[in-house]
Amino acid sequence: MSAAQKRLTQVSGHLAGAGSKIAPTEGDSSAGRAKLLQKNPDDIVVTACLRTAFTKGGKGGFKDTHAADMLVGAFKSLIERSKIDPGLVEDIAVGSVLPPGGGATEFRAAALAAGFPVSAAVKSLNRQCSSGLQACVDIANAISAGMIEIGVGAGVESMSLQYGPGAVTEFSELLESHPESANCKVPMGVLSEKMAKDKGIPRKVQDAFAASSYQKAIRAQEAGLFDEEIAPLKVKWENPKTGETEEITVSKDDGVRPGITAESLGKIKPAFAKDGSIHAGNASQISDGAAAVLLMKRSTAERLGQTILGKYVAASVAGVAPLLMGIGPWAAIPKVFEKAGINKDDVDIFEINEAFASQCVWCANELGLDMNKINPKGGAIAFGHPLGCTGARQVSTLLYELRRRGEKVGITSMCVGTGMGMAAVWVAE
Amino acid sequence: MEFRTAGYNGYAVKYSPYFDSRLAVVASANFGLVGNGRVYILGLDANGIHAERVYDTPDSVYDLAWAERNETQVIVGGGDGSIKLFDTKSPDNFPVQEWKEHNREVYSVNYNLVTKDSFVSSSWDGTVKVWDPVRPNSLLTLPTHSCTYSTAFAPRSPSIISAVSSDSHLRIFDLRTNPSSANHLVHLIPIHGYPPMPGSTYGPPRQTYAPSECLTHDWNKYRDTVIATAGVDQLIRTFDIRNPKAGPVAILRGHDYAVRKLSWSPHLSDVLLSGSYDMTARVWSDGSNANAPSRPANLGPEAWGDELGRMNVHTEFVTGVDWCLFGAEGWVATTAWDERVCVWDVRSVMNPANASRFN
Repeated sequence: MSAAQKRLTQVSGHLAGAGSKIAPTEGDSSAGRAKLLQKNPDDIVVTACLRTAFTKGGKGGFKDTHAADMLVGAFKSLIERSKIDPGLVEDIAVGSVLPPGGGATEFRAAALAAGFPVSAAVKSLNRQCSSGLQACVDIANAISAGMIEIGVGAGVESMSLQYGPGAVTEFSELLESHPESANCKVPMGVLSEKMAKDKGIPRKVQDAFAASSYQKAIRAQEAGLFDEEIAPLKVKWENPKTGETEEITVSKDDGVRPGITAESLGKIKPAFAKDGSIHAGNASQISDGAAAVLLMKRSTAERLGQTILGKYVAASVAGVAPLLMGIGPWAAIPKVFEKAGINKDDVDIFEINEAFASQCVWCANELGLDMNKINPKGGAIAFGHPLGCTGARQVSTLLYELRRRGEKVGITSMCVGTGMGMAAVWVAE
Repeated sequence: MEFRTAGYNGYAVKYSPYFDSRLAVVASANFGLVGNGRVYILGLDANGIHAERVYDTPDSVYDLAWAERNETQVIVGGGDGSIKLFDTKSPDNFPVQEWKEHNREVYSVNYNLVTKDSFVSSSWDGTVKVWDPVRPNSLLTLPTHSCTYSTAFAPRSPSIISAVSSDSHLRIFDLRTNPSSANHLVHLIPIHGYPPMPGSTYGPPRQTYAPSECLTHDWNKYRDTVIATAGVDQLIRTFDIRNPKAGPVAILRGHDYAVRKLSWSPHLSDVLLSGSYDMTARVWSDGSNANAPSRPANLGPEAWGDELGRMNVHTEFVTGVDWCLFGAEGWVATTAWDERVCVWDVRSVMNPANASRFN
């Protein structure tokens, strides 16, 4: 458009009255993106990121492996791949939801066993399903604040060994007496069922989304698109048929299955209510896995000769009503857009965790996101959602896919139990 | 009284803060879409309005501000993203200073009324910039990420800047805050109202409106926390930034098309003047003066405020309005796309009861 035409469009927009659409700030949007793509010495960059394969809870390859042992595997591979001197890593944050005591003791021990010297500090943290992302964001913030120079954000979960009723303690009378507070312990399946009903998300739509997740994942797996992000891990595994313990190498997500269609999912019985719409096939799988991300300033990475895979730009966290926890990404993503100065058109890939097909579809539709940009390699429905690990896993999934496609800007986001959402902006290089 | 900006469609008018007989007007050829701009320094006397100085600019010009420190200088923002400083003491017709940092149309400029040593500009490029007229580069850039039609310094504070933009938000920046990722932003007020919190059962339901582009705003000259905003949705709202989450204090409904320019009276704390694409300029009371008729409190912000009078002389979009600081309290100037600058008394369009409030 010529300058005069642009002005005319802008001014004629003023005449539309209350029914007007807000004119996009032409030039600014691309300027926001251009600003994101700039490389500055104080950028927080990712120089290595990886994950273990995700395996089915109770029967997959990691069913007998402790969370801390998977973490050791992920840390060892991270050191090996990045060739970082482990003595330079000052802090390690590990997100994990289920372990008693937050896993603080085991994770410190795991870091030592993986080859980090005693000088590398370790903390565990728990923001439910966003723990892995929170761990990366905490490390990034600590680096930009100058508290540390190099750190690792990680996430791990053994749902095989630690998933169960013990994960939440009894609520006191005081908590039970407050309505919004008592809602915090409503099980995820039950509240998602209610939300799907309230928001009118039909089962058909959920099944179609879930089936496409499976189909995308199997295509990606067959094309080897997960190979870069997955670090194979050798573990002991008890063969349920023979009862013997074998040593196996786990290098593939075993939840990914061929031949799943919306029709085949349509036959599964709902899990949480007779007339419900949510079932095992359109909710995330129970899985085991670990992931880790190595973060530092660009100036540090250049000094050490580290390969820069991408950078961390901004993150947001938002609270929503506990019963509507599934809408978390809908609250968090616009918030992170504002922080990063971009809009949805500037983003090439959205990695939005598929806790339930219902909530993921609702958020995407409500935000008006292009379905082709969401989870291009499938998501938690197809390969699993080891709670605390997912946020750190998304970083690898996103950055490798952006790099493969030659695209730049990505978002990772997830809903968080008890009513929250988190989102972060990443740029691949 | 009337002046014709022949061939140029008016965009803004401002009374000199020094002389009651001097006005500055910016106008642009072809409705500001393409072509030259022109800056008029006008003098008023018993014989009418005459042009004292005329400056031509290569691109359209959209807003101006009189320098608060020098009675001969005006600052002008234009379509090519430039800001120009003209000085009537200069013998030639060229700007004495020019700043080129904005990438798009500069739609507003406003002088710091307290320290008088800086001014602020806003642009369609999604930024607000703070300038010192003696320095060649801007002092500070405040991003809004949205086409910003209007920005202003708070009249009583040297460090508070407000801006309204096409994203339907009123932003308040406080330069005393530490520089950080927030870029001095202290309030981000959705003019259309806060969305209801999903799932929340707290608080009474509040009426919300669809977001719409905000085109103009002005700080009240007496109540230094009150700001009026208006734009494409035709409503004028007042906000009290002491309670930014409370939503508008008053909503003035009446204009039939977008409101292009607002100005609070320098004399009466509840009175404001608006110019609109509906070709009228209207005078309003926001209902805050002690003599206003009492109203039931439960009717919400739309119950406040009254239209006091309407000026129908212009035959095109009214784009600029301003109050005279001196003399009788009702004198205003308006400019419009009909190539006319009108100087008139708001009392002439009011009923005698309202008119009697102006001395």
